[in-house]
Amino acid sequence: MKPILSTAPHVKTRRTTKHIMLDVLIALLPATVAGIVYFGLAAAVTVAVALASAFLTEFVWYLVQNKFHRAPKETLKKFFAQFDFTSLITGLLLALCLPANLSAWYMPALGAIFAVGAVKMLFGGTGRNIVNPAIAGRVFLFISFSAMTAYPAANFGAIATNDWENLVAGATQLGNLFAGKPVLSPVDLFLGTGVAGCIGETCKLALIVGGIYLCARGVIKWYLPAIYILVTGLFAVALEGFDFTAFLPSVLSGGLILGAIFMATDYVTTPKSKLGNLIYFAILGLLTAGLRKATQIEVVSFCILLMNFAVFLIDLAIKARPFGFRKPVKRKQDKENRA
Amino acid sequence: MKAKNGKLFFRGVHIPDAKEFSKESPILPLETDEAAIPLKQHIGAAAEATVSAGDYVKRGQLIGRAAGKISANVHASVAGTVTEVGERDDGRGGSCVHVVIAREGAEEAFLPPLDHPDGAQIAQRIEDAGIVGMGGAGFPAHVKARPIAPVDTLILNGAECEPYLTCDDRLMREQTERIVRGAGYLAIALNATRVIVAIEKNKPEAISLFEKTEFETVKLKKQYPMGSEKHLIYCCTGRKVPLGKLPSDVGVAVQNVATAYAVCEAVELGKPLIERVVTVSGGGADAPKNLLCAVGTPLSRLAEAAGINENAAKFVAGGPMTGTALTGANGVVTKTTSGFLLLTEKETNSETPTPCINCGKCADVCPMRLMPMHTAFYTAVGEYELADRYGGVRSCIECGACSYICPARRPLAQMIKTAKANLGRKA
Repeated sequence: MKPILSTAPHVKTRRTTKHIMLDVLIALLPATVAGIVYFGLAAAVTVAVALASAFLTEFVWYLVQNKFHRAPKETLKKFFAQFDFTSLITGLLLALCLPANLSAWYMPALGAIFAVGAVKMLFGGTGRNIVNPAIAGRVFLFISFSAMTAYPAANFGAIATNDWENLVAGATQLGNLFAGKPVLSPVDLFLGTGVAGCIGETCKLALIVGGIYLCARGVIKWYLPAIYILVTGLFAVALEGFDFTAFLPSVLSGGLILGAIFMATDYVTTPKSKLGNLIYFAILGLLTAGLRKATQIEVVSFCILLMNFAVFLIDLAIKARPFGFRKPVKRKQDKENRA
Repeated sequence: MKAKNGKLFFRGVHIPDAKEFSKESPILPLETDEAAIPLKQHIGAAAEATVSAGDYVKRGQLIGRAAGKISANVHASVAGTVTEVGERDDGRGGSCVHVVIAREGAEEAFLPPLDHPDGAQIAQRIEDAGIVGMGGAGFPAHVKARPIAPVDTLILNGAECEPYLTCDDRLMREQTERIVRGAGYLAIALNATRVIVAIEKNKPEAISLFEKTEFETVKLKKQYPMGSEKHLIYCCTGRKVPLGKLPSDVGVAVQNVATAYAVCEAVELGKPLIERVVTVSGGGADAPKNLLCAVGTPLSRLAEAAGINENAAKFVAGGPMTGTALTGANGVVTKTTSGFLLLTEKETNSETPTPCINCGKCADVCPMRLMPMHTAFYTAVGEYELADRYGGVRSCIECGACSYICPARRPLAQMIKTAKANLGRKA
C-alpha cells in the first residue's frame, strides 16, 4: 500500500461539517415537536412537505449537474457521500417560520424549492450562498401569498381563557402589541400557549432548549444570539420612551428568538471575525427594534436578509490583529509633515 | 519548589493525548550497523563534509563542519568506515549530503570534559558539540546561547504538547539530574538569574520530580500549541513577544529539556550531539517504544523494533501536528526527530476537503489570533498580499491548529505555507 502523504498536521478532529449540521437538526427537534403539538396535523404536513421538497430540490439539482444518465450508480453514491444535511436544515427552518395552514400546503413546497434551488444551489451549494436560504424562502413566500399574514393560534393550554376573535383574525402578538390591544402574559408568550404565530416560533422554551444544546456542542456562541435579543429588547424600550414593560413582550413575541438562535447565527451568512460578529448582531438588534416600530409588522426575517448583504462590508473592514501586535508608533515628524 | 499554575491560555485546540501508548515504556538503546548521517539537520546552512569515503572515523569525531554563522557541526554517531559521502533522498521530499558509516568497533573520540566552566566556555562547547534545538525546529543552540539582548530568564520547555510523543516526558523522568545540571550550564552561559521549568499537566510524574529541584516549576494547561515559544513565554512570565521580535527582546530564552540534557553531556562528558530519544508510536505499531537512537539510524530499524503492522498507512517524522510525512519507512533519525509515527488511516482522518462553511473555528483556535479562512480564500486565487492583510500570514507559527479543527477538512495550514512562500519570494 502506498503511504498517505500530506502536509502537517497529520491528525485531525473527528468532527466534520456533517456532525455540525446534524447537531443543528437535533437542536431544531424540540421546536418542531412543540409546533406539531400546538398546531396539529397542519404543522406536521407543512414540516413534511418542506423537508421533502428541500431534499428533492438538492437531489435533482445534483443529479442534473453531475450528468446522472452517464453513471447512475456512481452519481447516487457520490451524492450520499457529499450530502451534508444543509438542505434539510433549510427545509425545516423554512417550515418553522410559516403559518400552519393546511389549505396552503403547496406554499412550503414552493418556498423550499426557491430556497434550496435559487438561493443555495444556484450560487454553488453549501457555503457559497450569500443570504440565508430559509430566510430568503420565507420572504419570497411573504411577498407572494396573502396566506402568510394569517396566523392560526396555538390550539393549546391558555387558549380557552383568551379572546378567540383577536387571535384567529390575524395579527400575531406583535401586531396586538403595536395596536395597543391586550397582550398575553409573558409566561404564555414564553411557552407559546395561546399565541398566534408561525409553527416554530411560538414555544420559546423549546427554542431555548435547542439553543442551549447548540451552545453546549460548540456549534454557536451563546453571546451572539444573546446580544441580538438584548439589543432588540433594550432599543424597543428606548423607542417606547423607556417604558420597561415593553421589554418582555418585544423580546418574546414574533420570530425574534427563532431568528436569533437559528437563523442569524448561520455560519455562511455571518462575518468571519469575532469583532465583526459582535458588530453584526448589535446592528441586527437595532434594526429589528427600529423597523418593528416603524412598520408595525414582524421584520426579523427582513432584517436578517438585509444584514446578510452587509456581511462582506464588515469582513473587509476588519483586519487580523495577531498575538503580540503593537500599534505602529507614528513618528512625530510624519504628523508635522502632513500638517 | 512547589509548582505554580501557568497563566490561562484561551485559544488553541484540545487534542486527544494518545501518549498512553508509549508513556510507561522506559528509554531503550537501539543498535545499528549502518548510520547515514545527513549534513543538514538544522535550520541554516548545511555543514561541510570533513571526511571522504574510505576514512576510518571514531564515535564522536567531527565529520561535518558548520558553514556560516547559523549552522551546526555534525559528528559521527558510530565508529567505523565511511562507505559513501553523497546526495541521498531524505524521505521527506528532498535530498542532502549524507555521510554513510558502516559500524566497526567502538572507539570514541569525545571532546575533553570541562570542569567549572564559565559562560563563554559553555557557549563554545555547545557550538563545538553541534547542539541544536531538539524540540523539532532545529535552531542551532549556540546562537541562542549568545543572545544579542540581555536575558534574565531561561525557560526549559517540557510542555511536549504534541500528541503521541513521550520522549521528553521519559527523559525528564529518567534523567532529571542531568537536565537540571544542563539547565544550570545554559543559565551560566546566558547570565540568566531565573530558571523556569514548564511542564504540561498531563505529566504529573515529571512535575513532582522537578518540584524537588531548586528551579521554579510551572504547571501548564493541557492545550496545543502550549509549547510554542511565544505562548510558553506568555504563560510562564506574562511577557508578550512583539511581532517580528525574538524572545531575547523580552529578556527570555527558551530551550527544550532534551537540549539541556545534551548540553550537560557535552559539558561533563565531552560527548557531542550524536544520539537522541525517539518515540516510535501510533496505531500502526504493535509495541510503541521510546528508543535511544544514534543519529543516522535508518527509520526502518525503528519500525522493525516497534513491531510495524499492516495497518500503518502514514509515516511521520516528528510530531503529528508539525512533523513531516514520509514516503515510507526510508529516511534516518536526525537531531530533531522527536518521534517516528506509524499512523493508521483511521487516526489520520484524512478525507477529501468539502466547501468552507465559514464556521470560524480556525480563527477561534488560532493561537496567534489570525484569520486562516481569509488566507485560504485569497491564496486560492493567488492574492497573497490580501491574504496577509486580512489573514495575517506573516505572523503564522505554522502550528496546524486550524487544519486540525476544520470541520470541512480544508488544508488551511498548507494554504498559509503556500502564501508565506510566495510572499517571501516577492519580497
